[in-house]
Amino acid sequence: MSTDKRSTIVLGVIGSDCHAVGNAILYRVFTEGGFNVVNLGVMVSQDEYIDAAIETNAKAILVSSLYGQGELDCEGMRERCIERGLDDIILYVGGNLVIGKVDYAQTEAKFKNMGFDRVFTPESDLQEVVKLLKEDIQERFPEQ
Amino acid sequence: MEANFISEERFFAERAEVLNAWPTGKDVDLKEAVHYHENIPSEKKFTQVLKEADSEGRVLVQPRAGVALVDEHIALLQKLETEADLLPTTIDAYTRLNHYDEAQKGIERSLEAGHSLLNGFPAVNHGVKECRRVVESLKRPLQVRHGTPDARLLAEITLAAGFTSFEGGGISYNIPYAKKVPLELSLKAWQYVDRLCGYYEEKGVRINREPFGPLTGSLVPPCISTAVAILEGLLALEQGVRCITLGYGQLGNLVQDVAAIVSLRELSHEYFQKYNFSDYQLTTVFHQWMGGFPEDEAKAFAVISWGSAIAALSKATKVIVKTPHEARGIPTAEANLQGIKATKQVVNMLAEQVFICEKALQTEIDLIKEEVRTILDNVIKLGEGDLVQACVRAFSGGLIDVPFAPSRFNKGKIMPVRDSLGAVRILDWGNIPATDNVKAYHRELIEKRGQQEGRKPSYHMLIDDVYAVSKGRLVGHPRA
Repeated sequence: MSTDKRSTIVLGVIGSDCHAVGNAILYRVFTEGGFNVVNLGVMVSQDEYIDAAIETNAKAILVSSLYGQGELDCEGMRERCIERGLDDIILYVGGNLVIGKVDYAQTEAKFKNMGFDRVFTPESDLQEVVKLLKEDIQERFPEQ
Repeated sequence: MEANFISEERFFAERAEVLNAWPTGKDVDLKEAVHYHENIPSEKKFTQVLKEADSEGRVLVQPRAGVALVDEHIALLQKLETEADLLPTTIDAYTRLNHYDEAQKGIERSLEAGHSLLNGFPAVNHGVKECRRVVESLKRPLQVRHGTPDARLLAEITLAAGFTSFEGGGISYNIPYAKKVPLELSLKAWQYVDRLCGYYEEKGVRINREPFGPLTGSLVPPCISTAVAILEGLLALEQGVRCITLGYGQLGNLVQDVAAIVSLRELSHEYFQKYNFSDYQLTTVFHQWMGGFPEDEAKAFAVISWGSAIAALSKATKVIVKTPHEARGIPTAEANLQGIKATKQVVNMLAEQVFICEKALQTEIDLIKEEVRTILDNVIKLGEGDLVQACVRAFSGGLIDVPFAPSRFNKGKIMPVRDSLGAVRILDWGNIPATDNVKAYHRELIEKRGQQEGRKPSYHMLIDDVYAVSKGRLVGHPRA
């Protein structure tokens, strides 16, 4: 039995995106914020996130995308999670998610429609995200 | 180093396999392509325009740009060429990883959506004929800009289509752009690209080659980027390339940035000649700030303008421009044009001026040169005459180490931070070779900042530096 009380989360940059700086920083912030972070680094496929989440019994998957093709890469992510038995997993996505400088509300609606629970910009306050994630985990997995 | 030259026989044997990787490969006819290049007017040839700018001491201005569909891409570049001196074709991220099937889906989805869903132009999927439509619709020289560890087919197609310059290199398009491509593989793929350019050169068609200077664009110390640039320059020369542009990404401290361009130029000549190359054409490129940008467009213009000033004062041959949309990723054509205009205004205003700060500048030049020589002499020795092996061993041993690189073939022990004047120094050298004097000098400068900020230099200082520019400063002050 593990005595580790920390929630496990899976972190990575999706698709063919190689932006590594933010990923290194997110890893630090969420680790310091009290999570057990499984960091898959850059260029992660949907199945790689899901495999890691299944193996580690993760509560959330945090998807980053900085290169504009996030719209193509993230499509079907929620369906794929359900297909593989992760019905309740929390899905966050953040970064520069679409091509061009598009109004955030529009991007948020698009990704929430895809099944992401929360959508962030590169300017989002990371401490705030840590707080939100703790609340969301508490709400979705109250028995733990 | 002539021993590393790929024979014509070996080149053509490998070539058959390269062209087979995607159906558009079969349309490449090298003889016909050479003939096609012979009829390209000189004002559309990269090497020619670089040569003239170099002799006149002018700074050329070049944007980045690429969208999924051919007509849309032509319209975008036609808009940009009203201001730009040199044109790009930025390649999408799927093509960069040779995922041509995914790029194909991206093209189809973009057609449906009525706008580009790809972050660049999938040149391999479009093929020679469609790429020529791009070349023939424009008045200025075109370069392929990307981030591809194995760009052999991309080079075959775009060069056959009449592009006259090709960016990248076996280190600079692997370590910052890939996660698990072995360095030896990318270096060999890029030897092929260089050999292809060398083949054109043999036939009298000069192709410009530009290793990617800024690497991860995240606080890369000048000694690292310069060492890599010179190694990639030597690798290109070995395969017969004769027109090379070496680059550097702006760090933000005026003295360090000017010194870096001056050192890059002088050290390149030094090493090229040391290894018996003489009949080459060398130019330099300065990249405006490659790190995080402010979201506010007026502030973004300030970052662009400061980079333009340094490009002009360092006498780089060309400058690669950013846009006011940088914080949000891919810009519109209008935003891209604004970045070019802001850059040209500054570059032209400073055309006659020189940077006078002899003593500080010379100190910095001497420092960079000493650092780079220590690295290069140790690295080249490792290869026992084989430059590819020298690079492979240098990275596996951490003698060259790039901050924030995604590649697992990069050691990742280096830790850079800014000093109190904003110049980038090295706090942890990992296994990078340096003299004790140089290390002590860096430490002294970093500690001075630590004292001013009342904290011990650490990873936190580095994180503050990574975000500083987007938050309105160069040196990352402690967060409240």
